[in-house]
Amino acid sequence: MLSDDICNVWQAQGSGMAPLTLEELRKKGNEFHSTIGWRNFREYLVTALLVPYFGRCAWVTPLPLMRVGNILMIGGLLYMAYQLHRRAAASDSPADLGWNTCLAFHRAELERQRDALASVWRWYLGPLMPGLAVLMGAGCIAGFRHSALAGMLSLMVVGVVALALRWMGRVNRKAAAGIQRQIDALG
Amino acid sequence: MEGNSQDERYLEAAAEYGAALHRLASGYEADPDKRRDLLQELHLALWRSLASFDGRCSLRTWVYRVAHNAATSYVIGQRRSRTSAWLSLEEVAAVADPYEGERAADRRHSVDRLLALIQQLKPLDRQVILSYLEGLDAAATAEITGISPGNVATKVHRIKILLAQQFQEGVRNAER
Repeated sequence: MLSDDICNVWQAQGSGMAPLTLEELRKKGNEFHSTIGWRNFREYLVTALLVPYFGRCAWVTPLPLMRVGNILMIGGLLYMAYQLHRRAAASDSPADLGWNTCLAFHRAELERQRDALASVWRWYLGPLMPGLAVLMGAGCIAGFRHSALAGMLSLMVVGVVALALRWMGRVNRKAAAGIQRQIDALG
Repeated sequence: MEGNSQDERYLEAAAEYGAALHRLASGYEADPDKRRDLLQELHLALWRSLASFDGRCSLRTWVYRVAHNAATSYVIGQRRSRTSAWLSLEEVAAVADPYEGERAADRRHSVDRLLALIQQLKPLDRQVILSYLEGLDAAATAEITGISPGNVATKVHRIKILLAQQFQEGVRNAER
């Protein structure tokens, strides 16, 4: 019977590779944790560098509105770092790979991606928005006080940033809708 | 104690299913170097997962679930950088060239073409065809994948038709 033949051909393939020793597995396991740790460290490092920067800006600026904007940025960055820490701690459970059927696991993976896209504004970019808006508003006011041209240039920067954010939001929504379609197709 | 038990289970699983893991990795990654990396990832995921194995399902079910789930995670990640879409069994049957099978004159060619076909499939269809090729019955495939046994049987029926279209001549020649 043909289907038996093709199964025999399939199963007759040799592995051609020596299995990993337990020592190699332990080493790879440690490397895996180091990689995750390094990824998290980079995220925290950005916060650790930006918080003093905005702190210094808040300290030296003569404009009260600019000071408020910088302090809001610090608050947003700290909230973002807290959320990263919380989410990194919640992930990575190797047992899930064995407890879940393939269908359940695939659905959970897609839902996790969809939710990450949907919530990115709430916890990643969203907390920075008040500070960014106040800073840009303060920049426009300062620009118009200096000259009409500087004010107009500041407004243009605000417009470009607003368009970029809107575009990012649209791309995110489109990607999340695509993932939702894949979830629906799983039945 | 737990570490020893985890190591022993892993050695048992690797001895019994090592070759199957290798074949499974080839169903998820075409590039030989990346396939080697994927296979190591599968072994690592299996070893790590076995710390939580408590016998609620068979070791075979656990091994296949871990391997398919880790490989699915891998292809979902890889897919972001690729433009080609995955196809269902029905779509593959519609676009495949049935006469190509006649030109598949040897065993190696048959396996390569089979891999090319599998690597186009959506994860669930891929899991069912790989389970079928490994000789697992519908009940075992259903327990691993979470699809109902009836649905597995339907998919296996389609797989048999597809394989018959694609490999009739190639496999016959390979067996001579």
